[in-house]
Amino acid sequence: MNLAANIHGSLRAERRWALIIAYVSLCAAVVIFLLPPVYMLITSLKTNAEMSNLQGNPWLVRSPTLEHYGTILGNPLFLTFFWNSIKVTVLTVIVTMVISVLAAFALARMRFWGSQALATGVFLTYLVPDTLLFIPLYQIVGGLGLLNSTWGLVLVYPTLTVPFCTWIMIGYFASIPKELDEAALIDGATWSQMLLKIFIPVALPGIIAATIFAFTVSWAAFVYPTAFITTPDQMPLTIGVVSTLVRGDTFAWGQIMAGALLAALPPVVVYAFLMDYYIAGLTAGATKG
Amino acid sequence: MPENVNATSCNDVSLPRRAALLGGAATALTAPAVFGQPTTNIRCGFWDHWVPAGNDALRRLCAQWGERNRATVGVDFITSVGNQNLLTIAAQAQSRSGHDILSFPAWEPASHARMLVNVDDVMGRLTAKYGAVTPAAEYLGKQDGRWVAIPAVSGTQMKPACVRIDLMQQHAGIDIRAMWPAENRAGPGADTWNWETFAVAAEKCNRAGFAFGLPMGSFTDAVDWVGALFASYGANVMDERGGITVRGNAKLRAAVEMCVRIARQLPNDVWAWDDASNNRALISGRSALVFNPPSAWVSARRDQPAVGAQCWTVPVPSGPEGRFVGYLPYFWGIWNFSRVQGPAKELLEFLSDRASAEVQTNTSAGYDIPPFLSMNDFPVWSNEGPPVGTVFNYPIKAHHNARTSVAFAPAPPAMAVQAYNQALNTKLIARIAQANETVDQALGWLERELNTIRRGG
Amino acid sequence: MPDSMTAAVSAPRGPESGAGGGLRRLARRRSTIAFLMTLPLICVIVGLVAYPAAYAVYLSTLNRRMDGFAGLLQFEILVDNETFWLVVWQSCLFAISAVLAKALIGFWLAHMLHHIPTKGQRKWRGMLLIPWVIPPALSTLGWWWMYDPTYSSLNWILAIFAVPAVPWLGEPWWARISVIMVNVWYGAPFFMIMYLAALKSVPEQLYEAAAIDGATSWQRLRHITLPMMQNIISITVLFSLIVTFANYDIVRVLTNGGPRDLTHVFATYAFQVGILSGNIPRGAAVSLFMLPALAVFAYFILRGVNRRNREMA
Repeated sequence: MNLAANIHGSLRAERRWALIIAYVSLCAAVVIFLLPPVYMLITSLKTNAEMSNLQGNPWLVRSPTLEHYGTILGNPLFLTFFWNSIKVTVLTVIVTMVISVLAAFALARMRFWGSQALATGVFLTYLVPDTLLFIPLYQIVGGLGLLNSTWGLVLVYPTLTVPFCTWIMIGYFASIPKELDEAALIDGATWSQMLLKIFIPVALPGIIAATIFAFTVSWAAFVYPTAFITTPDQMPLTIGVVSTLVRGDTFAWGQIMAGALLAALPPVVVYAFLMDYYIAGLTAGATKG
Repeated sequence: MPENVNATSCNDVSLPRRAALLGGAATALTAPAVFGQPTTNIRCGFWDHWVPAGNDALRRLCAQWGERNRATVGVDFITSVGNQNLLTIAAQAQSRSGHDILSFPAWEPASHARMLVNVDDVMGRLTAKYGAVTPAAEYLGKQDGRWVAIPAVSGTQMKPACVRIDLMQQHAGIDIRAMWPAENRAGPGADTWNWETFAVAAEKCNRAGFAFGLPMGSFTDAVDWVGALFASYGANVMDERGGITVRGNAKLRAAVEMCVRIARQLPNDVWAWDDASNNRALISGRSALVFNPPSAWVSARRDQPAVGAQCWTVPVPSGPEGRFVGYLPYFWGIWNFSRVQGPAKELLEFLSDRASAEVQTNTSAGYDIPPFLSMNDFPVWSNEGPPVGTVFNYPIKAHHNARTSVAFAPAPPAMAVQAYNQALNTKLIARIAQANETVDQALGWLERELNTIRRGG
Repeated sequence: MPDSMTAAVSAPRGPESGAGGGLRRLARRRSTIAFLMTLPLICVIVGLVAYPAAYAVYLSTLNRRMDGFAGLLQFEILVDNETFWLVVWQSCLFAISAVLAKALIGFWLAHMLHHIPTKGQRKWRGMLLIPWVIPPALSTLGWWWMYDPTYSSLNWILAIFAVPAVPWLGEPWWARISVIMVNVWYGAPFFMIMYLAALKSVPEQLYEAAAIDGATSWQRLRHITLPMMQNIISITVLFSLIVTFANYDIVRVLTNGGPRDLTHVFATYAFQVGILSGNIPRGAAVSLFMLPALAVFAYFILRGVNRRNREMA
């Protein structure tokens, strides 16, 4: 009795300590992780004069102003950047997911000539850096007449997203018990029915994870748009903000920071929406498995 | 596809600022051409000017020319931020497609000489009209005896000293405004404005807490001012034929020693400064002197008017072999795959004439410097302020006795460009002043690096 | 794609019949469908990666003017150059330390998140993901502004604790640390979320069984959590390592390789040599230098992952 109570007590103490450690580490991480964004927010609320003034605490805003946000949102060009980014990202995510779900299904479930080599080879494509690839790609994109067009970006961004997404999906598909599809095959299901009715629903968390990845990567891409887009009305947000707000050796810091924070908004919304689904799906999948 | 700024629709001089910011997107919706179908279509990629109005000026000039010559001139503005212009040049050269006319930063005409149209005829006519081109522009733009690109007005800058009048007076005892008044004469003491005086002033200001803001990193501001100092000591590291002249070079050693002496009086993080760090050092009021075109002063005037009102641009100090000022030009070049080379040449000739040059210089608060020495007298440099006359001495005037310099000239441009972009001169100083190597060790390193460059051809 | 699949499915039956024939037919049909399904992927890889990569290899064998074949000259020159070896060393230091830090921090935070009650997880998760959400090209500018020698807000905080001003980007070791710090800051949330997902999919029953056996928390981690997460750890580490090796933005914005080349990595050095200095073949050679080593490393990791995937299936 006494012993049991002791064990019980020490377990509870251990739990409590674990919780305390968890919260302390999370707090520390949040402070460090959010330091730059907070400072960006502070900077975006300062006037140019206050920013260039060395007196006083840089972490306080003495005369807050929304002028930088006003300038940016009042600039139709900035809204164009926003729209271009959304367009390119959404299309890229769709293209990526179609390509990688199909390929991952085939590579995870159907052995065929060269499938192993292909599965490994997909990942190796990241070994060729984009700082080198852009030169030959410029020829390809130019040859298709897609320079200075958001469509050119939709064409090349999958090289950044597809390999990783395919790998994630292979992993998820592989973890689905074989009995499931054997049963389906015996029931006379076709491969497409199997994919749509069994694999995609069961691997939904994986699909969402891959979607999030593809979204973030294509939203943040920088080297390719820098090389392929020179007209402002086709620029996505990242390069648009930098190229219109940094002029020679003068930086419009307030507007850059405001632009950076606004550029982070759509991913935040997407995450807020998808993350719960993602985690819920994961736990559901885990209990089922 | 480059946007097409229709000649007729863009002639509207009173383009509002917003539309200008739009990069012409609003005006790209082509209005019907009034004078019948334009016959030629020229696509230009100009440098995206740090003053947005600078783009506007070029666009208007192009539209004006296009209207007169029944041509459509499409204008893109390509920023140098993130090296977008260099990426574009490299990619277009590789794929042999893109614009007809591009703005090429300093070293690019030499790198792509074989792909650029010979513009000797245009330069011949221009020099006949306006006289000689500044020598540094000729070094960069004339390859194997032919002009491969035309020195541009828009974007071309010099890097003289921008001095805080009050701090220099108070801590170094130099009345810089009296020394270099906004007139075509040298003031009292101008003959003592050499690197020796400069080093003493740097030390005094540093002790007072207002160290000079001289970058020593790998960006152009750093390489250019060190290059100007080396040039004024006659310190070359490579000769015209690519021979390395590091060993036993007394002039080089003298220049290195002077530069190290100055570097020891700088803030301890100048080794990583970029082209904007020195601007910030000036604007914040922390620095008594920077080497920069007027953009630093313009930002100060906007954000810290009290600092801006105390800025005065003066020539670079002189050395034993004369006075040299860092020069960072842009060029306008025509690709040899262009199908409109004739009209493109005419357009560039028009953009280079005195009236066009003055429009460009005026809209950039005097920042853009024309390549022809005879044009260094535009009234804009006398009128800008406050303080009025602050950029009077920004372009080279006769009484400065100065020449433009490009770091690592006179080495063959194909090799100089590599030394320049790897910032071998500032690293040489950094090895001595920051990493405490001896001068001999550092010079040995420089020689090995230059050998690597030579070996690749 | 579904069209071709149904077409393949309803293809006319062959003359064979019986169990053996059916299986063979199934196998044939299977591989055709599989090939069709991977076709888009193959197109992307061949057209947009393999061909350009081959072209890049070709570029690296040219001379500087790109008008003649130079064999391995570019590589020979690099191998003889001390600055290049500095770049190799720094790239390895940069990539390995950044990935290690990212993986450890990510793992730790994922664990901590997993521990706290589910209700609160959402807001913590959201806050911790923010670094990964801001496009790095822009957030690096924010860091740069915090590091700025004149206006450094970090030094202002340090000054409160009477710590002397740090030359964040001016002194070689500080500059290296600063660069790595930004990379870790940006990448750790990605690891965290990948690991969190993996943690959630470890069946709770395994832990319960272990608890009954009286396993300590270290044993649970060692024998349950890590083996279950092995695949996801391998893939994220490998991916991050490759991407960190190729990282360009951060060094380019913060230091541009300075001071004295002591923060250059492959991508920035390749860019400086290739694009800025007009020597594209040598730039290509720099970019390709690590490819064989990384490829071998990646091959072994991926083979392991493949094997485990097959065992699981």
